[in-house]
Amino acid sequence: MDPLLYVLDLVVFIGIFGIVALSLNLEFGFAGLANFGKVAFFLIGGYTYALLSQVGVPFYLCLIAGALVSAIFGLLISLPALRLRADYLAIAVLAFGEILRLIVKSEDWIAGGDWGVSVSPAISLMGASHRVDALVNIGLVYFCLFICFLVVQLLANSPYGRAMRAIREDEVAAEALGKDRARYKAQALMLGSAMAGVAGGLYVQYLHCVLPGMFMPMITFTVWIMVLLGGPANNWGVLLGAGLVELFDRGANIAKDYLVLPIDPSSLQYILFGALIIFVLLYRPQGLLKESPIKTKALEAARYGRSAVKSDRS
Amino acid sequence: MEVNWAQVLFNSAVTGSLYLIGAVGLTLTYGLSGFPNFAHAEFITLGAFMGYWVAEQLGLGLPLALVVAFLVTGIVSFLCYRGIFQPLAKRGASIIHLMVGSIALGFILRHSIGAAWTWRPLYFTAAWSAFDIGPVRISGLWLWLIFTAIALSVIMHFVLVKTKIGKAIRASASNPELALASGINVDRVIWITWFIGAGLAAIAGIFRGADTQIWPMTGWDIILPIFAVVILGGIGNYYGAIAAAFIIGLAENIGVVGLIALGLSTTYRIGIAFLILIVTLIVKPQGLAMLFRRA
Repeated sequence: MDPLLYVLDLVVFIGIFGIVALSLNLEFGFAGLANFGKVAFFLIGGYTYALLSQVGVPFYLCLIAGALVSAIFGLLISLPALRLRADYLAIAVLAFGEILRLIVKSEDWIAGGDWGVSVSPAISLMGASHRVDALVNIGLVYFCLFICFLVVQLLANSPYGRAMRAIREDEVAAEALGKDRARYKAQALMLGSAMAGVAGGLYVQYLHCVLPGMFMPMITFTVWIMVLLGGPANNWGVLLGAGLVELFDRGANIAKDYLVLPIDPSSLQYILFGALIIFVLLYRPQGLLKESPIKTKALEAARYGRSAVKSDRS
Repeated sequence: MEVNWAQVLFNSAVTGSLYLIGAVGLTLTYGLSGFPNFAHAEFITLGAFMGYWVAEQLGLGLPLALVVAFLVTGIVSFLCYRGIFQPLAKRGASIIHLMVGSIALGFILRHSIGAAWTWRPLYFTAAWSAFDIGPVRISGLWLWLIFTAIALSVIMHFVLVKTKIGKAIRASASNPELALASGINVDRVIWITWFIGAGLAAIAGIFRGADTQIWPMTGWDIILPIFAVVILGGIGNYYGAIAAAFIIGLAENIGVVGLIALGLSTTYRIGIAFLILIVTLIVKPQGLAMLFRRA
């Protein structure tokens, strides 16, 4: 196989899963929500894209529609569980993902059931080689990633994001200060689901097909590893996590062809992923990059006195 | 279309019995340790494979298979709790971290099982005699399953109400600090509960495997209705779980009749449990717990 194409392919995957990891970071890192059904919203975005592009809708509208549909489902499914403890939401959303995959699997009329359907690429240039195709995809994916990163980063450092973190740290205290926790959580889930929906659309148009087997619970779990390893509530850390996990994945795939192991390498990879996550939880729960402390003018004034702020302005 | 309601009722008892045996351990550990152990699915799977190993590969018969599966899965569960969840809880991990840890453990177990045996479906070779009583078709396996569930219910009832360990389990679940202050070794109570709960899950796995097939997703296939049983019954509530298991068994089997009547795929039967789960969360998140205050 063409080595350059392999690298480009890896870069595209890091971008797509970087978007999903960012969306989970918004939900888990900043808002403290356990979304164990991330793959469900990834799936909704993917299938929405596939169905709309079949009837000739331009790709950017397909992506936006995927985001909207995903956001609506994110809101609907989380509403019953949001006022309850974190574990109820986790169970409800996890179950939702399984049901959704079951539906697209057994209803052939949606998108070919188990065998799926093919999806036309978002941007297809006449006579372009695979390398050029991959480059075009890198442009598209990283454009979306950039926007998502900007949104999450700005949100996290805004008063809104601080309220979100306050709810994560202490729901009762935040509520006592007049923050409607259920509303903040619902909004975080909607926005996170929308981003996952965009990523799902990008994913299916890049792979040129959509089928239920692409949306196994393993996807959710992989994204959780990215966030926990990289550093929850740190957007750079999460992107680092996405890169490391994808690299590890590829590395294991290459090693599979050269190493003779007594155990099936893909099983071994899952086992190692599981062990890695338990190791991270036990010994470095803050991830590789820590959450950066909140910075505001008022805080700096309190910490270093008024003069520090004034000299900063001059 | 003519529906054989007696058969539907009997099937509901079979389904409910399976879910009950599978859910008891989950609901008790959930109540005691305060987080849902998603690796419970893999305890079911591990039990099924241990049963297959003893009964089919070693050829030692089903009764011994049940005992070995119970013990091995129980010990694995105990070790996992000691090695992963207890240290996590001692380090002040949040409930989300504990849940992620349990999913990670589930992946390790599932893929270890897949690597040790195979990902292809396996079957128990033991043939079960099927016979008709009136209009109802009954297999010996199903009778054993119902019998096991009833025996389990009765034994667990006496354990929880009469014995020292049972009282300690209930005390630790309702108020750990007070239990500790009263001289109960709460850690040991939790270990014993994890051991017994996983052992029962293993038995559910063998029954499920003997009824359908065994593969590394055996437990994951039925984890959704089992969670529905736990939530509907009220977390940590044993008597609630008994009622919920049979309600969900009944709902699933009536639902299948409905699905066939509507011309939909019967694979959606799992969706019925999901529906009950969501409705419970909306209407009464405590589940049936208010009906059974004592445990």
